[in-house]
Amino acid sequence: MQVTLSALLAKASAEFVGLQSRADFEAAKARYVGPNGELTALMKQMGAVPKEQRPALGKLINEAKGQLQGQLDAALARISSAEIAAQLGPSIDPTLPSPDAGPGTSHPLTLVREEMCRILRKAGFAVVEGPEVETEYYCFDALSTPADHPARDAQDTFYFPAQARFGNISKKVAEEKYLLRTHTSSVQIRTMLKGEPPLRVVSPGRVYRRDTSDATHSANFHQIECLYVDKNVTVRDLKALLDYIFASLLGKNTKTRFRSHYFGYTEPSFEVDLSAQHLPKVNKEWIEIGGCGMVDPAVFDGVGYDSTVWTGYAFGMGLERLAMLMYGIDDIRYFYQNDLRFLKQFT
Amino acid sequence: MKISRNWLKQYVALDASVDELKRAITLLGFEVEGVINTGLPPLAQVVVGEIKTREKHPNADKLSICTVDVGLAQGGVRTIVCGAPNCAVGNRVPVALPGAILPGNFKIKESKIRGQASAGMLCAADELGLTGSASGLLILAADAPIGVALNEIMPEGDTVFDLEVTPNRPDALSHIGMARELAAWFRRPVEFPATTFRGITNEVLRPDILASVRVEAPEDCPLYFGLGLTGVKVGPSPAWLQERLQAVGLRPINNLVDVGNYVMLELGQPLHIFDAKKIKGQQLVVRRAVEGEILLTLDGKERILSAHMVVIADAAQPLVIAGIMGGANAEVEAPTTDIVIEAACFRPQSIRGTAKRLGLASDSSYRFERGVDPHGTVAAAYRAVDLIQATAGGTVVGPACLVGGDQTWTREIIVSPDYIRERLGFYISDEEMRGALEALNLIIVAAVARPPAVDWTVKIPSYRTDLDRPIDLVEEVLRIYGTDRVPPALAIGPALADGDDDPIAIFNRQVTAYLVGQRFHEVVNYTLRSRQELATWVSDTAAAELALANPFVDDQSHLRPTLVLGLLAALKLNQSRGVPATQLFETGRVFMELNGTVQEYLGAAFLLCHNPKERSWLARSAPDFYTVKQHLMILAQQAGIDWASAELRPISGAGWGWQAGHAAVAGESSIGWSVCGGLLDLSMVRAAGVEGTVWAGMLAILPEKLTSSTGHRRYQPFGLFPTVLRDLALVVEAARSAEEVRRALLGIAQASTGSAFAIEAVEIFDVYQGQGLPEGKKSLGFSLSFRSQERTLTDDEVNAVFTKIQQQIVADGSITVRA
Repeated sequence: MQVTLSALLAKASAEFVGLQSRADFEAAKARYVGPNGELTALMKQMGAVPKEQRPALGKLINEAKGQLQGQLDAALARISSAEIAAQLGPSIDPTLPSPDAGPGTSHPLTLVREEMCRILRKAGFAVVEGPEVETEYYCFDALSTPADHPARDAQDTFYFPAQARFGNISKKVAEEKYLLRTHTSSVQIRTMLKGEPPLRVVSPGRVYRRDTSDATHSANFHQIECLYVDKNVTVRDLKALLDYIFASLLGKNTKTRFRSHYFGYTEPSFEVDLSAQHLPKVNKEWIEIGGCGMVDPAVFDGVGYDSTVWTGYAFGMGLERLAMLMYGIDDIRYFYQNDLRFLKQFT
Repeated sequence: MKISRNWLKQYVALDASVDELKRAITLLGFEVEGVINTGLPPLAQVVVGEIKTREKHPNADKLSICTVDVGLAQGGVRTIVCGAPNCAVGNRVPVALPGAILPGNFKIKESKIRGQASAGMLCAADELGLTGSASGLLILAADAPIGVALNEIMPEGDTVFDLEVTPNRPDALSHIGMARELAAWFRRPVEFPATTFRGITNEVLRPDILASVRVEAPEDCPLYFGLGLTGVKVGPSPAWLQERLQAVGLRPINNLVDVGNYVMLELGQPLHIFDAKKIKGQQLVVRRAVEGEILLTLDGKERILSAHMVVIADAAQPLVIAGIMGGANAEVEAPTTDIVIEAACFRPQSIRGTAKRLGLASDSSYRFERGVDPHGTVAAAYRAVDLIQATAGGTVVGPACLVGGDQTWTREIIVSPDYIRERLGFYISDEEMRGALEALNLIIVAAVARPPAVDWTVKIPSYRTDLDRPIDLVEEVLRIYGTDRVPPALAIGPALADGDDDPIAIFNRQVTAYLVGQRFHEVVNYTLRSRQELATWVSDTAAAELALANPFVDDQSHLRPTLVLGLLAALKLNQSRGVPATQLFETGRVFMELNGTVQEYLGAAFLLCHNPKERSWLARSAPDFYTVKQHLMILAQQAGIDWASAELRPISGAGWGWQAGHAAVAGESSIGWSVCGGLLDLSMVRAAGVEGTVWAGMLAILPEKLTSSTGHRRYQPFGLFPTVLRDLALVVEAARSAEEVRRALLGIAQASTGSAFAIEAVEIFDVYQGQGLPEGKKSLGFSLSFRSQERTLTDDEVNAVFTKIQQQIVADGSITVRA
């Protein structure tokens, strides 16, 4: 028995050293210590061994079993490490570039728009939206644009054919024509008609002018407009809002100035100049940034607000112009070419 | 409009610097688009001096030390260091004395130049703001009086401002108009030109010059005044007149024409001067043109007139396109001796329409389009009489023909100073307001106490037709007070409860955040695209429905029905510039037809390009339809679309650029939203000049269908007991959609579990077609997970249900269970 045991141990050791895979290991383990294993078979013979030899023999078998188990454990550890090594593969070279794409980017016009909305949100302005296809009433009439005003000319405004029908754009009168809005002020009218004062809204959006495209003009561009309607709104409140906006957007050393101007839907009306010589490519003391004014009583009357009770202000400006100023961009067409070398610069 | 400073100074004393004037004009509301300086600007402390001695500077090769006599009043002879080569002894030159400020804000001080004291500067032409050679001093005449201010011996310089006048201010389209404004700003009086002619007193009737005027179109010509002069002598204008016109960019023609232009630029009233001998029948008729009538205008072009245009005609033919331009047939020329002066008012809309139709604009039409004050019309004719008589002689003859022109004008606005303060939001005293208004000739003719307030009655002059409400006077007060003096304040206001952002803005923000996070780059394309592109990529119907009436350029003639075309164009541009681009997106409005009407949708679209030419040391798998599908699902969920009930249907037909069999669509226009996506047609993409394989997806939803917040979410308990999984492979027709089979299986599983426990999910984990399966069949492997909320399930109960499911799923014969 002892001889058999030694032979078995020697054979097992030799086999275990050569085990390469988990399957081989499991097979080998079964061959020796499994229910039908060779060692298990020897142990089963214990019953036939004379009683007095049993303790010694039992000890031998236990020792052999311990040895086998130790060797099995070692083999398993060896196989596991090999498996992990195989799973890992060669070491990485951390200097190689990732093949995955870099971060996505928001368009600079989106960034500027969202920044403006964020600033205005702090001042209590909520975003409102309106259609880009508009009618003459919302784009012109309601804003006191005279019937023969040049802005309405087919030379300056894109119109749709008389038979064009837009299902989800409401008309004020049946015979008015559809057009592409020339400013986001139409949204103010729709907002006032839909809601009740007081109102504090900002309408960012795309507008259209029938114009030659060049470094500073584009067939479509974007505006952002604020409208505040409440009791006792003053010129000073408007100036305070503009000072707040531009100090937030461009830094505390930015100054604003009102210049008298004319818009049909505000009275008094102003153009807003900025003094912001810390910005790139700004080489003038004052640069024009937008238009504003106190909502004309006639506009309130038109939307059914009592103009003896309600007052308000409106302010609008071009997003492209603002972005060009902020980032020092010198050609408006870059916004629409979508060269990734341009787009990736702003996020 | 160009305004000359010297000309303005005829009417108002302006001693302000160019910069101060520019600021005043700007803040008054007239944008200064350009400033042109001519001649010598006003320069204090710049005088004539004579170089007495010249020595070389001991420390500098190119400098000289000169002694210069600037006259006893300026301290006699002084020493000045000079760098010019021509500072020769005996030359009389301009000397800038200490204290002088030269153009460019260059201040002259006593100083030491390389160790030598210098009490002033000898000046070159450019240093004085004159154009001319910069090399050397400006050498003055040998008899230029020493010590006299340079401005006294040099021709007067001028500054011309190019202004933008807003359409509400036609009264400012003249030198008098701007003089009124600047006089108000600087609080100076305006001196109007003195007119000696005050109308015909001893009427000499000469009906052979002008017998009568007949106005047949009174609605288009509310006022017409014609007056004859005989014995005028046509010739060049005097120098002063030529100078005024040239300063503002007009070419002098002859004294008569020049006077006409001068009066227009002075008073804002355009005039016309006829050669009386060329008026057939000696009657002027203001009438509508006959359709097709032709007039050769002074610019040498034949104008074909139409019936809504107004002309001034004689018995035979039109002579003038009213208010716009004269005809060559009544032009004043050298032999002219008898003339008729026309001063009239025309309806702005009529002039604007005609000028636009003819593509013909003039200084005259520019003013009539905006509105000319009829109360100044006759006075302007009188002013012209004065100037013609002064420059061309002549005698006024009758009859003076005045037609129309109701001369009454009264307009008063009642406003209280408190109202003005309330609108402004800051304090300006009553006195200051009154001062501002009256500076503008807005006279407070009555003040009625309404304790504690007071109401002012403000009289509005006839030329300020833009003022008719109290709010208009708020602007006038502020203009003169100074729009740059609005005091600062904090931006504060009451919080508004319903002030939530529009769902459109929230949706765009969410989509952008998601796609940027997925490494897409946002692009922005024009809304307008070409007809050809729409016809090629979308459909001929779309091209017809989405056309503009008046496109500006051919390639931007139609609304976009899809954002994908713009994305593809952006991809192409980047490829053509060698810039790697793989993932792009855009949000924006798109326009699609539904039941004969076009709808404006919100769109969000993305594009993925796999370009095998773009190599990488480590390969990544290419995107595929299911990449697109996942993005679409997330966009749809952000739009509030119930994706679980949306059916993605394969796209098999042509149109919209999808590759048949490799793209799908869900939703449709009629329910207000659609999503589509997949592979773009390989051959079309190649034909468009784009490299690689391109996938795209787009969501379009009507703004009114967008639901942003779904309100508060409520917690749902989730099972804590383990799931039991069973796998089932089903063999079906290859064409059958996996989702349909899955739903069938799910339905049966739900019915089979009943209320005992739940089938938690039925998910596809394998799709197989090929060896081992019959032709035209595929195998779908499903994993079914069962769970109870109350206990651990036993194998037996799950097996019982699973067996039931397997029996029922094959019941209709279209499905078999794969062994």
